[in-house]
Amino acid sequence: MSDSVVSIATTPPSFIRRVFSVWFRHYRVYTKHLLSNGLPPFVEPLFFLVGIGLGLGHYVGLIEGVEYVQFLAAGITVPPAMFTAAFECSFGTFIRLEFDKVYDGMLSSSINVRDLLIGEMLFAGSKSFFFSAAVLLVVSLFKLIPSPMALFTPVGGFLTGLMFAALSLFITSFVTTINHFNFYFTGLLTPMFFFSGIVFPLTEMPRVLRIAAEFFPLTHAANIVRAFCFNSFSGRLYWDLLYIIIFIVVFGILAIRRLEKRLIT
Amino acid sequence: MEYAILASHVTKKFKDLTAVEDLSFKVRQAECFGFLGPNGAGKTTMMKMLIGRCRRDNPGPGQISVFGYDPVKSELEIKYLAGVVPQEDNLDAELSVRQNLFIYAGFYGIKKTTAAPRIDYLLDFMELTDKAGSKIRELSGGMKRRLIIARALINNPRLLILDEPTTGLDPQVRHLIWDKLRMLKKDGVTILITTHYMEEAYQICDRLIIMHKGEKVLEGAPGDLIEEHIEQYVLEILDRESVGDLDTDSRIRLEQTDSRVLLYSDDISVLEAVTGGYKAGDFYLRQSNLEDLFLKTTGRYLNE
Repeated sequence: MSDSVVSIATTPPSFIRRVFSVWFRHYRVYTKHLLSNGLPPFVEPLFFLVGIGLGLGHYVGLIEGVEYVQFLAAGITVPPAMFTAAFECSFGTFIRLEFDKVYDGMLSSSINVRDLLIGEMLFAGSKSFFFSAAVLLVVSLFKLIPSPMALFTPVGGFLTGLMFAALSLFITSFVTTINHFNFYFTGLLTPMFFFSGIVFPLTEMPRVLRIAAEFFPLTHAANIVRAFCFNSFSGRLYWDLLYIIIFIVVFGILAIRRLEKRLIT
Repeated sequence: MEYAILASHVTKKFKDLTAVEDLSFKVRQAECFGFLGPNGAGKTTMMKMLIGRCRRDNPGPGQISVFGYDPVKSELEIKYLAGVVPQEDNLDAELSVRQNLFIYAGFYGIKKTTAAPRIDYLLDFMELTDKAGSKIRELSGGMKRRLIIARALINNPRLLILDEPTTGLDPQVRHLIWDKLRMLKKDGVTILITTHYMEEAYQICDRLIIMHKGEKVLEGAPGDLIEEHIEQYVLEILDRESVGDLDTDSRIRLEQTDSRVLLYSDDISVLEAVTGGYKAGDFYLRQSNLEDLFLKTTGRYLNE
Protein backbone atom coordinates (compact mmCIF):
# COMPACT_ATOMS: atom_id res chain seq x y z
CA MET A 1 0.00 0.00 0.00
CA SER A 2 1.63 3.24 -1.10
CA ASP A 3 0.95 6.43 0.72
CA SER A 4 0.14 8.87 -2.01
CA VAL A 5 -1.90 11.97 -1.37
CA VAL A 6 -4.50 13.11 -3.84
CA SER A 7 -3.18 16.46 -5.02
CA ILE A 8 -5.77 19.02 -5.94
CA ALA A 9 -4.58 22.07 -7.85
CA THR A 10 -6.42 25.18 -6.81
CA THR A 11 -6.15 28.95 -6.93
CA PRO A 12 -7.49 30.94 -3.99
CA PRO A 13 -8.83 34.44 -4.65
CA SER A 14 -6.30 37.21 -5.23
CA PHE A 15 -4.93 39.38 -2.43
CA ILE A 16 -7.06 42.36 -3.50
CA ARG A 17 -10.21 40.27 -3.51
CA ARG A 18 -9.46 38.81 -0.10
CA VAL A 19 -8.79 42.21 1.42
CA PHE A 20 -11.92 43.59 -0.18
CA SER A 21 -14.01 40.75 1.24
CA VAL A 22 -12.81 41.62 4.74
CA TRP A 23 -13.55 45.30 4.14
CA PHE A 24 -16.97 44.39 2.80
CA ARG A 25 -17.80 42.26 5.84
CA HIS A 26 -17.09 45.17 8.15
CA TYR A 27 -18.98 47.54 5.90
CA ARG A 28 -22.09 45.33 5.97
CA VAL A 29 -21.98 44.91 9.73
CA TYR A 30 -21.36 48.64 10.30
CA THR A 31 -24.11 49.85 8.01
CA LYS A 32 -26.64 47.57 9.73
CA HIS A 33 -26.91 50.24 12.40
CA LEU A 34 -26.37 53.22 10.16
CA LEU A 35 -28.35 55.71 12.16
CA SER A 36 -26.67 55.13 15.52
CA ASN A 37 -23.27 54.59 13.94
CA GLY A 38 -23.44 57.32 11.33
CA LEU A 39 -25.15 60.20 13.11
CA PRO A 40 -22.48 61.32 15.65
CA PRO A 41 -20.06 62.87 13.12
CA PHE A 42 -22.85 65.15 11.92
CA VAL A 43 -23.87 66.25 15.40
CA GLU A 44 -20.57 66.55 17.25
CA PRO A 45 -19.15 69.42 15.18
CA LEU A 46 -22.21 71.48 16.05
CA PHE A 47 -21.33 71.28 19.73
CA PHE A 48 -17.77 72.26 18.95
CA LEU A 49 -18.66 75.20 16.80
CA VAL A 50 -21.27 76.57 19.15
CA GLY A 51 -19.64 75.62 22.44
CA ILE A 52 -16.05 76.46 21.74
CA GLY A 53 -16.06 78.35 18.46
CA LEU A 54 -18.73 80.89 19.37
CA GLY A 55 -18.34 80.78 23.13
CA LEU A 56 -14.59 80.95 23.35
CA GLY A 57 -14.04 82.54 19.95
CA HIS A 58 -15.64 85.71 21.23
CA TYR A 59 -12.58 86.32 23.41
CA VAL A 60 -10.00 85.28 20.83
CA GLY A 61 -8.70 87.48 18.07
CA LEU A 62 -7.57 86.37 14.63
CA ILE A 63 -5.45 83.23 14.45
CA GLU A 64 -3.05 82.95 11.55
CA GLY A 65 -5.12 85.62 9.89
CA VAL A 66 -8.53 83.92 10.20
CA GLU A 67 -11.40 84.05 12.69
CA TYR A 68 -11.03 81.55 15.52
CA VAL A 69 -14.22 79.75 14.59
CA GLN A 70 -12.81 79.21 11.08
CA PHE A 71 -9.53 78.00 12.47
CA LEU A 72 -11.43 75.56 14.67
CA ALA A 73 -13.80 74.43 11.92
CA ALA A 74 -10.92 73.28 9.73
CA GLY A 75 -9.23 71.57 12.67
CA ILE A 76 -12.18 69.54 13.86
CA THR A 77 -12.49 67.61 10.62
CA VAL A 78 -9.52 65.53 11.81
CA PRO A 79 -10.10 64.25 15.39
CA PRO A 80 -13.28 62.29 14.55
CA ALA A 81 -11.20 60.44 11.96
CA MET A 82 -8.67 59.64 14.66
CA PHE A 83 -11.22 58.55 17.24
CA THR A 84 -13.34 56.40 14.96
CA ALA A 85 -10.34 54.50 13.61
CA ALA A 86 -8.90 54.14 17.09
CA PHE A 87 -12.15 52.75 18.48
CA GLU A 88 -12.60 50.42 15.54
CA CYS A 89 -9.12 48.94 15.82
CA SER A 90 -8.91 48.78 19.61
CA PHE A 91 -12.24 47.92 21.23
CA GLY A 92 -13.70 46.67 17.94
CA THR A 93 -10.73 44.52 17.07
CA PHE A 94 -10.42 43.16 20.58
CA ILE A 95 -14.09 42.15 20.65
CA ARG A 96 -13.82 40.45 17.25
CA LEU A 97 -10.65 38.74 18.42
CA GLU A 98 -11.54 37.60 21.92
CA PHE A 99 -15.28 37.77 22.53
CA ASP A 100 -17.17 37.28 19.27
CA LYS A 101 -14.52 34.99 17.75
CA VAL A 102 -15.16 36.65 14.40
CA TYR A 103 -11.52 36.28 13.39
CA ASP A 104 -11.60 32.56 14.12
CA GLY A 105 -14.27 32.16 11.50
CA MET A 106 -12.66 34.46 8.96
CA LEU A 107 -9.26 32.83 9.33
CA SER A 108 -10.84 29.44 8.75
CA SER A 109 -11.98 30.64 5.35
CA SER A 110 -9.53 31.50 2.63
CA ILE A 111 -8.22 34.62 4.38
CA ASN A 112 -4.88 34.97 6.15
CA VAL A 113 -3.89 37.24 9.02
CA ARG A 114 -2.33 39.81 6.72
CA ASP A 115 -5.48 40.06 4.56
CA LEU A 116 -7.57 40.33 7.68
CA LEU A 117 -5.60 43.17 9.24
CA ILE A 118 -5.07 45.14 6.05
CA GLY A 119 -8.80 44.88 5.42
CA GLU A 120 -9.37 46.05 8.96
CA MET A 121 -7.12 49.10 8.50
CA LEU A 122 -8.69 50.01 5.18
CA PHE A 123 -12.14 49.78 6.68
CA ALA A 124 -11.10 52.00 9.60
CA GLY A 125 -9.64 54.42 7.03
CA SER A 126 -12.90 54.41 5.10
CA LYS A 127 -14.86 55.15 8.24
CA SER A 128 -12.49 58.01 8.96
CA PHE A 129 -13.00 59.31 5.42
CA PHE A 130 -16.73 59.31 6.05
CA PHE A 131 -16.40 60.99 9.46
CA SER A 132 -14.18 63.75 8.08
CA ALA A 133 -16.55 64.25 5.18
CA ALA A 134 -19.50 64.50 7.56
CA VAL A 135 -17.78 67.16 9.65
CA LEU A 136 -16.69 69.01 6.52
CA LEU A 137 -20.26 69.05 5.30
CA VAL A 138 -21.55 70.48 8.56
CA VAL A 139 -18.90 73.19 8.91
CA SER A 140 -19.33 74.09 5.22
CA LEU A 141 -23.01 74.70 5.82
CA PHE A 142 -21.92 77.47 8.19
CA LYS A 143 -19.69 78.87 5.42
CA LEU A 144 -16.61 78.43 7.58
CA ILE A 145 -14.41 76.82 4.97
CA PRO A 146 -13.08 79.33 2.45
CA SER A 147 -11.37 77.10 -0.13
CA PRO A 148 -12.95 74.56 -2.48
CA MET A 149 -9.69 72.63 -2.09
CA ALA A 150 -11.22 71.55 1.23
CA LEU A 151 -12.97 68.83 -0.76
CA PHE A 152 -9.75 66.87 -0.26
CA THR A 153 -10.16 66.99 3.52
CA PRO A 154 -11.71 63.50 3.71
CA VAL A 155 -8.56 62.14 2.07
CA GLY A 156 -6.68 63.59 5.02
CA GLY A 157 -9.25 61.86 7.20
CA PHE A 158 -8.58 58.59 5.41
CA LEU A 159 -4.83 58.89 6.04
CA THR A 160 -5.50 59.82 9.65
CA GLY A 161 -7.67 56.73 9.92
CA LEU A 162 -4.93 54.49 8.51
CA MET A 163 -2.41 55.91 10.98
CA PHE A 164 -4.59 55.36 13.99
CA ALA A 165 -5.82 52.00 12.76
CA ALA A 166 -2.22 50.80 12.49
CA LEU A 167 -1.27 52.30 15.85
CA SER A 168 -4.37 50.89 17.55
CA LEU A 169 -3.85 47.41 16.15
CA PHE A 170 -0.30 47.59 17.41
CA ILE A 171 -1.56 48.60 20.87
CA THR A 172 -4.23 45.89 20.74
CA SER A 173 -1.56 43.27 20.14
CA PHE A 174 -0.33 43.91 23.70
CA VAL A 175 -3.72 44.08 25.35
CA THR A 176 -5.06 41.16 27.32
CA THR A 177 -7.96 42.89 29.12
CA ILE A 178 -10.28 45.28 27.35
CA ASN A 179 -9.93 47.84 30.19
CA HIS A 180 -6.30 48.43 29.21
CA PHE A 181 -7.55 50.57 26.34
CA ASN A 182 -8.41 53.29 28.86
CA PHE A 183 -4.71 54.04 29.16
CA TYR A 184 -4.44 54.40 25.41
CA PHE A 185 -7.39 56.73 25.07
CA THR A 186 -6.79 58.85 28.16
CA GLY A 187 -3.04 58.71 28.10
CA LEU A 188 -2.32 59.14 24.41
CA LEU A 189 -5.29 60.13 22.29
CA THR A 190 -6.77 62.81 24.55
CA PRO A 191 -3.48 64.74 24.89
CA MET A 192 -2.99 64.37 21.18
CA PHE A 193 -6.33 65.98 20.59
CA PHE A 194 -5.29 69.02 22.60
CA PHE A 195 -1.68 69.36 21.53
CA SER A 196 -1.74 68.81 17.80
CA GLY A 197 -2.82 72.24 16.70
CA ILE A 198 -6.48 71.30 16.40
CA VAL A 199 -8.10 73.66 18.91
CA PHE A 200 -5.30 76.21 19.11
CA PRO A 201 -2.10 76.79 17.15
CA LEU A 202 1.10 75.39 18.53
CA THR A 203 3.20 78.45 17.70
CA GLU A 204 2.70 80.11 21.07
CA MET A 205 3.19 76.93 23.09
CA PRO A 206 6.30 76.20 25.20
CA ARG A 207 9.13 74.72 23.17
CA VAL A 208 8.83 71.28 24.81
CA LEU A 209 5.24 70.94 23.72
CA ARG A 210 6.02 72.09 20.23
CA ILE A 211 8.68 69.44 19.90
CA ALA A 212 6.38 66.81 21.37
CA ALA A 213 3.70 67.80 18.90
CA GLU A 214 6.05 67.06 16.01
CA PHE A 215 5.96 63.43 17.10
CA PHE A 216 2.19 63.28 17.30
CA PRO A 217 0.65 61.80 14.16
CA LEU A 218 -2.39 63.98 14.56
CA THR A 219 -0.28 67.15 14.15
CA HIS A 220 0.75 66.16 10.66
CA ALA A 221 -2.77 65.24 9.65
CA ALA A 222 -4.02 68.57 10.96
CA ASN A 223 -1.34 70.46 9.02
CA ILE A 224 -2.33 68.83 5.77
CA VAL A 225 -6.06 69.23 6.23
CA ARG A 226 -5.74 72.87 7.23
CA ALA A 227 -3.60 73.59 4.19
CA PHE A 228 -6.38 72.30 1.97
CA CYS A 229 -9.08 74.15 3.87
CA PHE A 230 -7.29 77.49 3.55
CA ASN A 231 -5.58 76.83 0.24
CA SER A 232 -2.21 77.74 1.75
CA PHE A 233 0.43 75.20 0.84
CA SER A 234 4.08 75.09 1.76
CA GLY A 235 7.02 72.73 1.33
CA ARG A 236 6.56 71.62 4.93
CA LEU A 237 3.60 69.54 3.83
CA TYR A 238 5.90 67.05 2.08
CA TRP A 239 7.43 66.31 5.45
CA ASP A 240 3.94 65.87 6.96
CA LEU A 241 2.95 63.50 4.20
CA LEU A 242 6.19 61.55 4.49
CA TYR A 243 5.70 61.24 8.24
CA ILE A 244 2.17 59.91 7.71
CA ILE A 245 3.23 57.32 5.14
CA ILE A 246 6.15 56.10 7.23
CA PHE A 247 3.96 55.93 10.31
CA ILE A 248 1.31 53.84 8.55
CA VAL A 249 3.85 51.45 7.08
CA VAL A 250 5.91 51.00 10.25
CA PHE A 251 3.03 50.53 12.67
CA GLY A 252 1.08 48.52 10.11
CA ILE A 253 3.92 46.03 9.74
CA LEU A 254 4.55 45.86 13.49
CA ALA A 255 0.86 45.31 14.19
CA ILE A 256 0.56 42.54 11.61
CA ARG A 257 3.67 40.80 12.92
CA ARG A 258 2.57 40.93 16.52
CA LEU A 259 -1.03 39.94 15.92
CA GLU A 260 0.09 37.12 13.65
CA LYS A 261 1.92 35.65 16.63
CA ARG A 262 -1.23 35.92 18.65
CA LEU A 263 -3.54 34.45 16.01
CA ILE A 264 -1.26 31.73 14.68
CA THR A 265 -0.10 29.71 17.64
CA MET B 1 -4.54 3.70 -1.42
CA GLU B 2 -5.09 7.39 -2.09
CA TYR B 3 -5.28 9.71 0.87
CA ALA B 4 -6.67 13.19 1.41
CA ILE B 5 -4.48 13.88 4.41
CA LEU B 6 -1.18 12.47 5.55
CA ALA B 7 0.28 13.49 8.88
CA SER B 8 3.43 11.93 10.21
CA HIS B 9 5.27 12.44 13.48
CA VAL B 10 3.61 15.75 14.19
CA THR B 11 4.50 17.39 17.47
CA LYS B 12 3.27 20.62 18.98
CA LYS B 13 4.55 21.99 22.25
CA PHE B 14 3.28 25.12 23.91
CA LYS B 15 5.38 26.70 26.64
CA ASP B 16 5.11 24.00 29.27
CA LEU B 17 2.53 21.76 27.66
CA THR B 18 2.85 19.16 24.95
CA ALA B 19 -0.43 19.42 23.08
CA VAL B 20 0.35 16.88 20.35
CA GLU B 21 3.12 14.33 20.56
CA ASP B 22 4.52 12.41 17.61
CA LEU B 23 1.11 11.96 16.02
CA SER B 24 0.75 10.17 12.71
CA PHE B 25 -2.42 9.36 10.82
CA LYS B 26 -3.81 9.03 7.32
CA VAL B 27 -7.22 10.09 6.16
CA ARG B 28 -8.65 8.45 3.06
CA GLN B 29 -10.61 10.32 0.46
CA ALA B 30 -14.32 10.58 1.20
CA GLU B 31 -14.15 8.87 4.55
CA CYS B 32 -15.27 10.21 7.88
CA PHE B 33 -12.33 10.22 10.23
CA GLY B 34 -12.78 10.88 13.92
CA PHE B 35 -10.55 12.31 16.61
CA LEU B 36 -11.68 11.11 20.01
CA GLY B 37 -10.21 12.06 23.30
CA PRO B 38 -10.92 13.80 26.56
CA ASN B 39 -10.75 17.58 26.82
CA GLY B 40 -7.15 18.65 26.41
CA ALA B 41 -6.14 15.56 24.45
CA GLY B 42 -4.88 17.70 21.56
CA LYS B 43 -7.73 17.17 19.10
CA THR B 44 -8.43 20.82 18.39
CA THR B 45 -4.73 21.64 18.18
CA MET B 46 -4.31 18.93 15.55
CA MET B 47 -7.25 20.30 13.54
CA LYS B 48 -5.79 23.80 13.72
CA MET B 49 -2.45 22.54 12.46
CA LEU B 50 -4.15 21.16 9.36
CA ILE B 51 -5.44 24.59 8.31
CA GLY B 52 -2.44 26.63 9.39
CA ARG B 53 -4.01 28.27 12.46
CA CYS B 54 -1.43 26.51 14.54
CA ARG B 55 2.11 25.66 13.42
CA ARG B 56 3.62 22.29 14.17
CA ASP B 57 6.98 22.26 15.91
CA ASN B 58 9.69 22.97 13.44
CA PRO B 59 12.42 21.86 13.00
CA GLY B 60 11.34 18.33 13.60
CA PRO B 61 10.41 15.24 11.66
CA GLY B 62 6.78 16.37 11.45
CA GLN B 63 5.11 16.41 8.03
CA ILE B 64 1.59 17.31 7.05
CA SER B 65 0.04 17.11 3.61
CA VAL B 66 -3.54 18.10 2.89
CA PHE B 67 -4.42 17.44 -0.75
CA GLY B 68 -0.74 17.85 -1.49
CA TYR B 69 -0.33 21.13 0.37
CA ASP B 70 1.72 21.80 3.48
CA PRO B 71 -0.30 24.04 5.83
CA VAL B 72 2.81 25.96 6.88
CA LYS B 73 3.43 27.07 3.30
CA SER B 74 0.04 26.85 1.61
CA GLU B 75 -2.47 27.75 4.24
CA LEU B 76 -4.70 29.57 1.76
CA GLU B 77 -4.90 26.71 -0.73
CA ILE B 78 -5.93 24.29 2.01
CA LYS B 79 -8.49 26.66 3.45
CA TYR B 80 -9.85 27.29 -0.03
CA LEU B 81 -10.49 23.56 -0.39
CA ALA B 82 -11.82 23.09 3.13
CA GLY B 83 -14.74 24.11 5.27
CA VAL B 84 -14.42 24.49 9.02
CA VAL B 85 -17.09 24.22 11.69
CA PRO B 86 -15.61 25.68 14.87
CA GLN B 87 -16.42 24.61 18.41
CA GLU B 88 -17.94 27.96 19.29
CA ASP B 89 -20.69 29.76 17.44
CA ASN B 90 -19.27 32.83 15.73
CA LEU B 91 -21.99 34.05 13.41
CA ASP B 92 -22.33 37.75 12.67
CA ALA B 93 -25.17 38.67 15.02
CA GLU B 94 -25.85 41.92 13.16
CA LEU B 95 -26.61 40.14 9.90
CA SER B 96 -29.41 37.86 8.77
CA VAL B 97 -29.01 34.16 8.08
CA ARG B 98 -28.69 34.72 4.35
CA GLN B 99 -26.30 37.67 4.74
CA ASN B 100 -24.04 35.59 6.96
CA LEU B 101 -23.66 33.14 4.10
CA PHE B 102 -23.13 35.90 1.54
CA ILE B 103 -20.29 37.39 3.55
CA TYR B 104 -18.52 34.04 3.67
CA ALA B 105 -19.06 33.51 -0.03
CA GLY B 106 -17.09 36.73 -0.39
CA PHE B 107 -14.17 35.34 1.59
CA TYR B 108 -13.85 32.60 -1.02
CA GLY B 109 -14.15 35.04 -3.88
CA ILE B 110 -17.47 33.57 -4.98
CA LYS B 111 -19.42 35.95 -7.19
CA LYS B 112 -22.85 37.09 -6.07
CA THR B 113 -24.60 35.39 -8.96
CA THR B 114 -22.95 32.06 -8.13
CA ALA B 115 -23.41 32.50 -4.41
CA ALA B 116 -27.17 33.12 -4.49
CA PRO B 117 -28.25 29.71 -5.81
CA ARG B 118 -25.60 27.99 -3.69
CA ILE B 119 -27.01 29.69 -0.58
CA ASP B 120 -30.56 28.66 -1.51
CA TYR B 121 -29.36 25.10 -1.90
CA LEU B 122 -27.49 25.07 1.41
CA LEU B 123 -30.37 26.62 3.34
CA ASP B 124 -32.59 23.91 1.94
CA PHE B 125 -29.99 21.22 2.64
CA MET B 126 -29.66 22.26 6.28
CA GLU B 127 -33.44 22.82 6.53
CA LEU B 128 -33.18 26.52 7.22
CA THR B 129 -35.06 27.95 4.24
CA ASP B 130 -37.81 29.37 6.49
CA LYS B 131 -35.19 31.22 8.48
CA ALA B 132 -33.35 32.83 5.56
CA GLY B 133 -34.32 36.35 6.58
CA SER B 134 -34.14 35.85 10.34
CA LYS B 135 -31.75 37.59 12.67
CA ILE B 136 -29.16 35.38 14.33
CA ARG B 137 -30.47 36.02 17.82
CA GLU B 138 -33.84 34.62 16.78
CA LEU B 139 -32.28 31.23 16.06
CA SER B 140 -32.13 28.32 18.47
CA GLY B 141 -28.84 26.64 19.30
CA GLY B 142 -29.55 23.87 16.80
CA MET B 143 -30.36 26.33 14.02
CA LYS B 144 -27.15 28.24 14.65
CA ARG B 145 -25.14 25.04 14.41
CA ARG B 146 -26.87 24.09 11.17
CA LEU B 147 -26.18 27.54 9.78
CA ILE B 148 -22.51 27.27 10.71
CA ILE B 149 -22.35 23.95 8.89
CA ALA B 150 -24.05 25.52 5.87
CA ARG B 151 -21.50 28.33 6.05
CA ALA B 152 -18.65 25.83 6.07
CA LEU B 153 -20.09 24.29 2.89
CA ILE B 154 -20.40 27.55 0.95
CA ASN B 155 -17.24 26.90 -1.08
CA ASN B 156 -18.18 23.32 -1.94
CA PRO B 157 -15.30 21.99 0.15
CA ARG B 158 -13.50 18.75 -0.53
CA LEU B 159 -12.68 18.51 3.15
CA LEU B 160 -15.03 19.35 5.99
CA ILE B 161 -13.51 19.82 9.43
CA LEU B 162 -15.90 19.79 12.36
CA ASP B 163 -14.80 20.51 15.91
CA GLU B 164 -17.36 19.02 18.29
CA PRO B 165 -20.25 19.87 16.00
CA THR B 166 -23.11 18.54 18.08
CA THR B 167 -22.10 19.48 21.61
CA GLY B 168 -25.13 20.74 23.49
CA LEU B 169 -27.68 19.89 20.82
CA ASP B 170 -30.88 17.87 21.20
CA PRO B 171 -31.09 14.36 19.69
CA GLN B 172 -33.25 15.46 16.76
CA VAL B 173 -30.71 18.01 15.57
CA ARG B 174 -27.85 15.64 16.23
CA HIS B 175 -29.39 12.92 14.09
CA LEU B 176 -30.17 15.42 11.34
CA ILE B 177 -26.55 16.57 11.32
CA TRP B 178 -25.31 12.99 11.17
CA ASP B 179 -27.60 12.30 8.23
CA LYS B 180 -26.28 15.34 6.39
CA LEU B 181 -22.71 14.34 7.05
CA ARG B 182 -23.39 10.88 5.64
CA MET B 183 -24.84 12.51 2.52
CA LEU B 184 -21.79 14.71 2.11
CA LYS B 185 -19.54 11.70 2.42
CA LYS B 186 -21.45 9.99 -0.35
CA ASP B 187 -20.78 13.04 -2.50
CA GLY B 188 -17.08 12.53 -1.98
CA VAL B 189 -16.40 15.01 0.80
CA THR B 190 -13.72 13.94 3.24
CA ILE B 191 -14.86 14.59 6.79
CA LEU B 192 -12.76 15.13 9.85
CA ILE B 193 -14.55 15.34 13.14
CA THR B 194 -13.56 15.73 16.76
CA THR B 195 -15.98 14.59 19.38
CA HIS B 196 -16.27 13.10 22.78
CA TYR B 197 -19.67 11.64 22.07
CA MET B 198 -18.97 7.98 21.50
CA GLU B 199 -22.38 7.51 19.97
CA GLU B 200 -21.52 10.14 17.39
CA ALA B 201 -18.21 8.55 16.57
CA TYR B 202 -19.79 5.12 16.30
CA GLN B 203 -22.58 6.39 14.07
CA ILE B 204 -20.62 8.32 11.49
CA CYS B 205 -16.90 7.58 11.65
CA ASP B 206 -15.44 5.05 9.26
CA ARG B 207 -12.23 5.15 11.19
CA LEU B 208 -11.05 7.01 14.21
CA ILE B 209 -8.16 7.57 16.51
CA ILE B 210 -8.39 7.86 20.25
CA MET B 211 -6.02 10.49 21.60
CA HIS B 212 -4.82 10.88 25.12
CA LYS B 213 -2.51 13.62 26.35
CA GLY B 214 -1.46 14.47 22.82
CA GLU B 215 -0.69 10.93 21.78
CA LYS B 216 -2.52 8.40 19.68
CA VAL B 217 -3.56 5.42 21.76
CA LEU B 218 -5.76 3.53 19.31
CA GLU B 219 -6.64 3.69 15.65
CA GLY B 220 -9.13 1.79 13.53
CA ALA B 221 -12.77 1.30 12.60
CA PRO B 222 -15.04 1.70 15.63
CA GLY B 223 -16.44 -1.84 15.38
CA ASP B 224 -13.00 -3.41 14.97
CA LEU B 225 -11.60 -1.47 17.89
CA ILE B 226 -14.33 -2.69 20.20
CA GLU B 227 -13.84 -6.23 18.98
CA GLU B 228 -10.08 -6.17 19.40
CA HIS B 229 -9.50 -4.07 22.45
CA ILE B 230 -12.29 -4.68 24.89
CA GLU B 231 -14.24 -7.63 26.23
CA GLN B 232 -17.52 -8.25 24.49
CA TYR B 233 -19.83 -7.93 27.50
CA VAL B 234 -20.03 -5.85 30.56
CA LEU B 235 -21.95 -6.30 33.78
CA GLU B 236 -22.52 -3.10 35.72
CA ILE B 237 -23.33 -3.59 39.36
CA LEU B 238 -24.95 -0.43 40.54
CA ASP B 239 -24.38 -0.90 44.25
CA ARG B 240 -20.73 -1.24 44.96
CA GLU B 241 -21.16 -2.25 48.59
CA SER B 242 -22.94 -5.47 47.74
CA VAL B 243 -20.11 -6.90 45.66
CA GLY B 244 -18.11 -9.57 47.43
CA ASP B 245 -14.88 -11.19 46.32
CA LEU B 246 -15.07 -11.37 42.55
CA ASP B 247 -11.60 -10.53 41.34
CA THR B 248 -10.45 -14.11 41.68
CA ASP B 249 -11.92 -15.21 38.37
CA SER B 250 -9.39 -14.76 35.54
CA ARG B 251 -12.12 -14.58 32.92
CA ILE B 252 -13.38 -11.32 34.41
CA ARG B 253 -11.74 -7.90 34.32
CA LEU B 254 -12.84 -5.56 37.05
CA GLU B 255 -13.21 -1.79 36.90
CA GLN B 256 -14.42 0.27 39.81
CA THR B 257 -15.83 3.75 40.11
CA ASP B 258 -16.96 5.57 43.24
CA SER B 259 -20.39 4.04 43.10
CA ARG B 260 -20.31 1.14 40.66
CA VAL B 261 -18.40 -1.99 39.80
CA LEU B 262 -18.00 -3.01 36.17
CA LEU B 263 -17.19 -6.57 35.22
CA TYR B 264 -15.92 -7.17 31.70
CA SER B 265 -15.78 -10.57 30.08
CA ASP B 266 -15.92 -12.21 26.66
CA ASP B 267 -18.00 -15.00 28.12
CA ILE B 268 -21.53 -13.87 28.86
CA SER B 269 -22.31 -16.97 30.90
CA VAL B 270 -19.62 -16.07 33.43
CA LEU B 271 -21.26 -12.69 33.93
CA GLU B 272 -24.73 -14.22 34.04
CA ALA B 273 -23.56 -16.48 36.82
CA VAL B 274 -22.59 -13.41 38.83
CA THR B 275 -25.98 -11.79 38.35
CA GLY B 276 -27.62 -14.66 40.20
CA GLY B 277 -26.85 -13.02 43.51
CA TYR B 278 -28.56 -9.70 42.65
CA LYS B 279 -32.08 -8.37 42.33
CA ALA B 280 -33.18 -7.10 38.94
CA GLY B 281 -32.47 -3.38 38.87
CA ASP B 282 -29.30 -3.71 40.91
CA PHE B 283 -27.31 -4.73 37.86
CA TYR B 284 -27.20 -4.10 34.14
CA LEU B 285 -25.76 -6.63 31.71
CA ARG B 286 -25.01 -5.35 28.22
CA GLN B 287 -22.69 -5.45 25.24
CA SER B 288 -19.65 -3.29 25.66
CA ASN B 289 -19.43 -0.18 23.49
CA LEU B 290 -17.06 2.48 22.30
CA GLU B 291 -17.48 4.43 25.51
CA ASP B 292 -16.21 1.49 27.53
CA LEU B 293 -13.21 1.30 25.26
CA PHE B 294 -12.68 5.03 25.48
CA LEU B 295 -12.71 4.98 29.26
CA LYS B 296 -10.46 1.95 29.32
CA THR B 297 -7.84 3.65 27.13
CA THR B 298 -8.04 7.18 28.49
CA GLY B 299 -8.76 6.39 32.11
CA ARG B 300 -11.75 6.99 34.32
CA TYR B 301 -10.27 9.86 36.27
CA LEU B 302 -10.67 13.46 35.19
CA ASN B 303 -8.03 14.63 32.78
CA GLU B 304 -8.08 18.25 33.86
